[in-house]
Amino acid sequence: MMLDDLARGLATTLKMMFEKPVTIQYPEEKRRVRTRFKGRHHLQRYENGLEKCIGCSLCAAACPADAIFVEAAENTDEERYSPGERYARVYEINMLRCIFCGYCQDACPTEAIVLGDNYELSFTDRRQAIYTKEMLLDPVPPGGQPTPQRTPSGVYTRSVPVMKDPSD
Amino acid sequence: MNTLLEKYTDEVQTILAKYPPDQKRSALMPLLYLAQREYGYISKQAMNEIGEILDITATEVASVVGFYTLYHDQPAGKYRIQVCTDLPCALRGSEEFLKQLCENLGIQPGETTADGLVTVEEVTCLAACDRSPVFQVQTPDGLVYHENQSVENAMKLIRTWQSKP
Amino acid sequence: MAKLVTLTIDGITVQVPPGTNVVDAAKKAGIDIPVFCYHPKMEPVGMCRMCLVEIGRPVVDRATGELVRADDGSVKIQFSPKLETACTTPVSEGMVVINTSQKVKDGREDILEFLLTSHPLDCPVCDKGGECPLQNLTMEFGSGQSRYIYDEKMHSAKHVPLGDLIYLDRERCIQCARCVRFQDQIVDDPVIGFYNRGRALEIVTYSEPGFDSIFSGNTTDICPVGALTTADFRFGARPWELNAAASICTQCPVGCNLTINVRREAISQGRMAIKRIMPRQNEWVNEIWICDKGRFGYHYVESEERLDQPLVRKDGKLTPVSWDEAINLVSMRFKQAGSNLLTLVSGRLSNEDLYNIRKLTDSLNGKSALYTQMGGGDVVAQVGMSTGSNLANLGKGDVILVIATDLHQEAPIWWLRVKQATERGAQLIVANARSTRLDRYAKYPIRYAYGEQNNLIAALVQLIDPQKFVDAKAIKHLSEQSIIKDTAEALKAAQNLVIFFGNEGSGVADSQVLAQTCAILLATTNHAGKPNNGLIPVWQRANDQGAWDMGWRPPTDLSTSIKEANALYIVACDPAGDDPRLSLTPDFLVVQDLYLTPTAKLADVVLPALPFTEREGSLTSGERRVQRYYPAIPGRTGALADFAIAAQIAKACGITLEERSAAKVMDAIARENADYAAISYTELANVEEQWPIIGRADLYYGGTSYENKQGLGMQLQNAVQKGEPFQISLPELVEQSGEGLLAVPITRLYDRGNTLIPSQLLRTHLVSTVMWINAKEAKQQGVEEHDVVQIECGETSALVTVELEDAVPDGVVLVPRSVGIPISEPCRVRLHITERV
Repeated sequence: MMLDDLARGLATTLKMMFEKPVTIQYPEEKRRVRTRFKGRHHLQRYENGLEKCIGCSLCAAACPADAIFVEAAENTDEERYSPGERYARVYEINMLRCIFCGYCQDACPTEAIVLGDNYELSFTDRRQAIYTKEMLLDPVPPGGQPTPQRTPSGVYTRSVPVMKDPSD
Repeated sequence: MNTLLEKYTDEVQTILAKYPPDQKRSALMPLLYLAQREYGYISKQAMNEIGEILDITATEVASVVGFYTLYHDQPAGKYRIQVCTDLPCALRGSEEFLKQLCENLGIQPGETTADGLVTVEEVTCLAACDRSPVFQVQTPDGLVYHENQSVENAMKLIRTWQSKP
Repeated sequence: MAKLVTLTIDGITVQVPPGTNVVDAAKKAGIDIPVFCYHPKMEPVGMCRMCLVEIGRPVVDRATGELVRADDGSVKIQFSPKLETACTTPVSEGMVVINTSQKVKDGREDILEFLLTSHPLDCPVCDKGGECPLQNLTMEFGSGQSRYIYDEKMHSAKHVPLGDLIYLDRERCIQCARCVRFQDQIVDDPVIGFYNRGRALEIVTYSEPGFDSIFSGNTTDICPVGALTTADFRFGARPWELNAAASICTQCPVGCNLTINVRREAISQGRMAIKRIMPRQNEWVNEIWICDKGRFGYHYVESEERLDQPLVRKDGKLTPVSWDEAINLVSMRFKQAGSNLLTLVSGRLSNEDLYNIRKLTDSLNGKSALYTQMGGGDVVAQVGMSTGSNLANLGKGDVILVIATDLHQEAPIWWLRVKQATERGAQLIVANARSTRLDRYAKYPIRYAYGEQNNLIAALVQLIDPQKFVDAKAIKHLSEQSIIKDTAEALKAAQNLVIFFGNEGSGVADSQVLAQTCAILLATTNHAGKPNNGLIPVWQRANDQGAWDMGWRPPTDLSTSIKEANALYIVACDPAGDDPRLSLTPDFLVVQDLYLTPTAKLADVVLPALPFTEREGSLTSGERRVQRYYPAIPGRTGALADFAIAAQIAKACGITLEERSAAKVMDAIARENADYAAISYTELANVEEQWPIIGRADLYYGGTSYENKQGLGMQLQNAVQKGEPFQISLPELVEQSGEGLLAVPITRLYDRGNTLIPSQLLRTHLVSTVMWINAKEAKQQGVEEHDVVQIECGETSALVTVELEDAVPDGVVLVPRSVGIPISEPCRVRLHITERV
C-alpha cells in the first residue's frame, strides 16, 4: 500500500522531469514585464530632440514620497532645451524614496515623464540612488538634435502642447 | 526739442487756452488731431511731444490713441476711406462695394495704393445704416461722410483727389 | 462715529459704515464674493463682472415714505431683475444680498468662460500657478467646459519685458487694469496703460525707459493672473515649494515688513536660497506695498564674496584662522588699547548688536562713535512719533512738513503715505532747495537756499511765537515771505503735525540743529507728545534711530577720532570705501562685516558677520517702531551674528554679555533702557486683526502680499509722552555765508552702496558718478553736458560726469551719495574739465 503511493508520487516527479520548467535563470535570462508594470522613470524627448519636460514641478508636487526634485530655468532661442519658455535645469529622482506609484506620470502635462520597465535598481551607495536628468533622459531619437539646440525665433513659443480636447 | 510745439506754437496755445490751466490734459484730443493732421498719423515722437506739452506720460497719450479708431498710430495714405461693413450695411451691399472698390484700386482692405494717396479700411458702425453703402474719408482737412455710394461715385471722388496737386 | 448701515448677506446680518461696498461688507462678515478687478486699496471700477450678486432693497411707499410690509409683517424686498456688481454697489439700510443662489453661480461660471476664451492655460509653466486667483476661482466656480471654438483663441506675445524688472505675458492678461490703476492712482506714475479696445486690448508702456517705476514690483502682487511677473523670480520655483520667513527691510528707515521666500536649491550647492522678497501686511508701516529696492535689492546677502571665516594679517597677508585665535588676538589688543579703543558702527546693525558692541566698548573704557552723516536721534527720542501714531490717520485738518529730504528717493513708502495723506485732505508743506517729486502734492512748496533750512524753521517758529528769538535778523528775509507766513498760519491751525527732516544740504551738526528747531516748532504749536504727531528723521540706514537709542552718537570729527585711536573696531560700515583718503592706520584695526570691503582690506583682523536674513534681531524705524526679523535661512557656517561676536570678544576680555540669543539681549536692553522697558520678543510678535484682510486663502482679494502673523512691532513712547520735561534748547541763528560753487550730496534710491551693487537686476538703474548742474550755472562754470570733470572739495576730489538738470538751484552742483564720490557733507568745490566728449 505504501509502495503504491510512493510509485504514484515518483511517477508525477518523473512526468514533471519532461515538462518545460517555469523558473527562469535570472539574470542570464530575463522575462518581459507586464504592459502596466511601473519601473524606473524616463524623461522623453520630441522627435526633433527637444525635451518634453518643461520643469513645471507638478510631478514633484504629486509625488507622495517627495522623491522628485526639479529646478527650472528659462529657454532662449540660442540655448533651447524644450519648447516654450521654461525647462528643467535640474531634475532628480531619488529611487530609494520612489514607491513607483506613477502619480508623476499622471501629473505631467506634457507626457515627459513615464515609468519604464527597468526594475533592476540596486545600489551600493545612497548617492547612487539619485538619478539625475542626464540619467533619466531618453537618447536623442534618430534625426533629432541633442539639447541645448539653437532654434529659429517664434517657433517654439508654447510649453504645453495644444490639446483641443483636454479629456482625451 | 518739441517740433510740434515749435511749428504750431500759436495753435497749441489756442487749444490750451480753451481748458483750465490745472486741467491741461483735457487738451489731449485736439492736440492729437493736430499731430495727425501734421504727420498723417500719430508717431511715437508725437506722443512724447504731446505728453511733454500736457505734462502727462507718453503712455497716457498712447492709451487715448489706442482707444479711439479715428487716431492712427501707423502711417497710411493721404486719404483714408473707411467703409462700414456691419450687418445692416452688409445687407445693403457694402461688402460687395468694398470688394469692388478695392479691386478697382488694386489693393486689399487695410492696404494703401502704390502712390500713397488712398487707404481703404473696414470699420464698424458709422451710424448711417439707411444710406448704405456708406464710407467716411479722413482727409488732411477733416472728416467727410459719403452716403448712398456706388463704386463709380467713389472712383470719381478718388480721381478728383488724384488730379489735385 | 457715523451711524452704521445694517444689511443681510446670505442670511447673516452685517453692520458696516455707510459708503462701504458690498464686497467689503461681505468680507467683514467672513463671506467671500469673488473679484478680479476690485482691490480693497483702490477705487472700484466694475470691469471684470466677477462679483455679480443678487441685491434686493426694501420697498418704500412713495406717497408715505414708509416701508411696505408683506402680510406677515416682514419688510417687502424688491430684487433687481439682473445681477449687480457688488464692488461698485454701496451698502444701504435693509439691503439683502444673495451670494449663493444658482443665478449667481451661473453668472460667475459664464464670466469665467468669457475670461478663459483666450487664456493660454499654461498654468504648469506660469509663475503665478499655485497662487493664482483665476486658477482658484476657476476651480471653484468654472464649468470645466468651454463653448468657444478652440481655434479662435487669440494668440499674443508671451514674452514682453515691460522694463528690465517686470515681464508681461499678454495672453494671460484678463484686462482688469489693477496694474494700470495702481500705477496711476496709488503711486502716481502712470507709465503703463491700455492700448486698443475689446479683444485687442493690451497693456503697453510708451515711456522711456519702459516700466520704470520704483514701485513696479507691487503690480505683480496684485495681478490676479500670471500676466505680470518679476524678472527676479522668473521660473525660480513653484509657490507651494517655498518656505516663508518674516523679516524687516533693511534698506531704509521705513522698516517695511517683508516675507522672505526660500527654497533649497541645487545651483546654490544644496543650500537654502532666497527666491523672492514679498511684502507682509502692516497697516502701521507699509500697508501691503514695498518698493523695488526692498524687493530686488537683497542679493548682497547671498553674494559669493561673503566671508565665512575670520582673517588675521600674517606677514602682510590676510590669512584664514580659527575663531578662537581671532577672538583671543582681538580681545588681547582691545584690552591693551583700553581707552584708546575706538568703536565705529553704523545703523545697518540691529539693536541687539548695537547694545552688545556698546557694552563691550564701554567695559573696556573705549570710545564709541556712530558712522552717519546726519544728527538728531536724541531729539527724536524726545519728540519723535508718539505711540499710537499711524501716517494713515492723517487727513483733513492735519499738516505734514517735509524738509531737506527727497522722500521719493530716500524712503519711498513714506513718500507714498504722505501723498495718500494729502489725498485724504492733509495739507503738505515741502521745503527744499530744489524741486522734488513730492512738490506736486504740496499746498505750500517752499524754496530756500542750501544751508537755510534751520533758519526757515526758525522763521516759522518766530511767526507763530514772536517772543521765541530775540535776535531775529538772520531770519527776517524768510519770515517776510507771504508763502512762509501762510505756512505758519497753517501750522498754527493744524490738528496734527508730522515733520519729516533729512540731511540734504546739511552735515551732522547742521542736521542736529535742524532736528532741534523742528522739535521746537512741534512744541511751539503744541503738537509734541501726542499720537499722530511727531518728528520723523529720514535716516540713511535702517537702524540709525536704534543706534541713537542705544547711546551711539556721531563723533564731532571722525578723522581726528580715528587718528587718536590705537585700536579701531569698525562694524558694518566702510569709511575707506566712502572716502579713500581717510587715513585708517591705527596700530590695530578690526573690521566686522559681510565681505572684504575696502576698509576690511586694510584690517589686521576681519571678523565675518551674518546678514539679517540668517539671524534674529530687531530694528527701530524712523517712526520709532521696534520690529523684529526672523532667520530666513540657516546662517552660513563660519560667520556669526554681530552681537554674538561682540559677546565672544567680551568673554575673552572677562566681561559677560548675552550671546545665546537676540531675544535675551533684548531682555537686557529692556532692563537698562527705559524707552525699551516694555519691549520683548514676545511683545514684538503680537498681531491684531488688520483691515483689509490680505494674504489668506482668498488671494483674489488683496493679492499675494503676506498676512502678518509674526508681529506688528511696537512704537516707543517719546519723552514728552512719558511726561518728561522737554529739554531742547533754542539753537543760535546763523546767517548764511560762503562764496563759490556749493556741492551738495543727495541720496538716490539706487546708489552704489555695498549692499546694492551685488543685485545684478538693478545694475542699469544704479546712479553713476555724475554731477547735476543747471544749464545756466553750467555755462557760467564753462562745463557742458557729458563732460568729465574733476570736482575738488578741499583735499579730496573725484571724477564725475556732468548732467544738466533744471531742478538744481543756481550756484549749486548736486552729487549722489554712496557712489564713490567722497563728498558726504555740503562743500565748496572747484571744477576742472578733464575730458570733453
